[in-house]
Amino acid sequence: MRLPDKSGYFGHFGGKFIPETLSFCLKELEESYLKAGKDKGFKRELRSYLKEYAGRPTPLYFAKNLSKLLGIKVYFKREDLLHTGAHKINNSLGQAILARFMGKKRLIAETGAGQHGVSVATVASLFGFRCDIYMGQEDIERQKMNVLRMKVLGARIRPVGSGSKTLKDACNEAMRDWVTNVKDTYYLLGSTVGPHPYPLLVRDFQSIIGRETKKQIVVREKRLPDYLVACVGGGSNSLGLFHPFFHDKKVKFIGVEAAGLGLGNLHAASLLKGKVGVLHGAKSFVLQDRFGQIKNAHSVAAGLDYPGVGPEHAFYKQTKRARYVAVNDKGAIEGFRLLSEVEGIIPALEPSHAIYYLRTLAKTSRGSCVVVCLSGRGDKDLEIIQKYHR
Amino acid sequence: MMSIQDKFKQLKKDGKKAFIVYIPFGFPHPRYTKDILLALQDTGVDIVELGIPFSDPLADGPIIQKASSRALENGANQEKMFATLQRIRSFLKTPMVIMTYYNPLFMFGVKKFFRRMNELGVSGITVVDLPLEESSHYIKEARQFDLETVFFITPTTHIGRAKKICRASRGFIYYISVTGITGPKSFSYAPLLSHIKILKNITRLPLCVGFGIHTRTQAEQINKFSDGIIVGSSIVKFIAQHYHDKDFLRKLKKYVNSFVDK
Repeated sequence: MRLPDKSGYFGHFGGKFIPETLSFCLKELEESYLKAGKDKGFKRELRSYLKEYAGRPTPLYFAKNLSKLLGIKVYFKREDLLHTGAHKINNSLGQAILARFMGKKRLIAETGAGQHGVSVATVASLFGFRCDIYMGQEDIERQKMNVLRMKVLGARIRPVGSGSKTLKDACNEAMRDWVTNVKDTYYLLGSTVGPHPYPLLVRDFQSIIGRETKKQIVVREKRLPDYLVACVGGGSNSLGLFHPFFHDKKVKFIGVEAAGLGLGNLHAASLLKGKVGVLHGAKSFVLQDRFGQIKNAHSVAAGLDYPGVGPEHAFYKQTKRARYVAVNDKGAIEGFRLLSEVEGIIPALEPSHAIYYLRTLAKTSRGSCVVVCLSGRGDKDLEIIQKYHR
Repeated sequence: MMSIQDKFKQLKKDGKKAFIVYIPFGFPHPRYTKDILLALQDTGVDIVELGIPFSDPLADGPIIQKASSRALENGANQEKMFATLQRIRSFLKTPMVIMTYYNPLFMFGVKKFFRRMNELGVSGITVVDLPLEESSHYIKEARQFDLETVFFITPTTHIGRAKKICRASRGFIYYISVTGITGPKSFSYAPLLSHIKILKNITRLPLCVGFGIHTRTQAEQINKFSDGIIVGSSIVKFIAQHYHDKDFLRKLKKYVNSFVDK
């Protein structure tokens, strides 16, 4: 079975629910991507930038202290060590080279935590694109350092003051820009969401995480891990890790969503609490009311603060290929402290959700071997952490 | 209510162009929609497009975005819309097209929604973010309830694709004037004219132009080669500015009529 199929569906999920104006550019994007995939020059260039510029392969680090503490074997895939500090650069390099291949002159992107925005601003500077980044006003407020980084890199920040003033609205605004400037503009979407072919594209560019992990863990352990654990917002770091293990049925996937203030309150757990619907061009699980209006999400981690989720995750959930759990804001802060104090690694608040979940997993699966995607580093979150300081 | 097809037959006989006006349901408050709809009955409006407000209207500019969130804050929803239409059903003569994003339709249930439309005699439906590829189920259901499915063609639609869209369309074709979102704009007529000329060769359905039209001059220019025009944001803006006025409905009628001769 091909995932997604020709129409961009993962089972019942995905597709392209977009205004007619965009039909043409999605088709163009899909065709260019297929062509690029067969082009040796494209692949060679991407490989070279990933290695020389971004710093791949990233280490698979065995966390001795944490493993001892929890009674399970914990490995971290160190995406936090990449240039710009998160896994987002894998996708941004891939799509930027594709955009150049397509002859586009301008990049636009949405960003939540600012990690994707920074990576797009970075590749725009590297390859000489004009660049506009849409960011919700609330996120601009809570991720000031990333805003500064983007400005230094030469990108223009477009604050979004509509709706919830976070990632969802930044996405809407980026799409409006794209609809208006389709001819010369490339929309560099940062997660495995949106209309086909984006969920495919982003997953493919992020799959390097899982492919490297597979090689590295076999060298270390002479076998595949029992569990892969990653945080899930839109789904790019988790699918990047999970996807290459899709056919290895013994490897269990655990996706950790943001329970925010609690699953009965404001949260961002679209897979656990959402209903099937259409948001930003794809059919998937969405936080919405009974009339189909999208609800506001909440998470202390801006990168998870999104009321939808990639269609491939919806498919994993429905077919039970992956299990989904949620960790609230408080748990994430604890996960953040735990890794900082025990291993000397300051993680971003997004993967801190996954780190905290290891405590729960350790109780039921003593002795098992777990790989966690450490999707980004935590410098950007220090200001938020300060507020929670004991 | 007359069907859209019949309306265009009548317009053609009279040698007239269609004047289509968009209003969002529930703006500024659900209780206004009844009076606005009734007021539009005695204007030169030929077809009313009634929009369902959506929390994430990604094809709309600031004017309709604001109106949508205002309507939602004031409790607008699909059930209230149907209830409003039910109440004034016998007074509504002008044919109507419901315009929506897909999620509110999907969540309500496509079949249930279409049955309600059919019971109320509303014949037209158009979905902003439902391109042809995703619409086979929707079209099948719409045919069962005898609804007229209005699809979009834009400046980026290739001719081969346009042919397929025309085959799936009923009532009229909604031609989007420029690539972009809703809201007042200025545009050049030449590319519009040449694209519409090409489209005229592939379909007998009426072609109506919308997005960006906000002056009478624009309306007249475009009507030289289209079968009608659609005005949205300007009307919404007018409602936003004047709904407090004592003689709001009279002013609205006057404003609406200022786009056409009638």
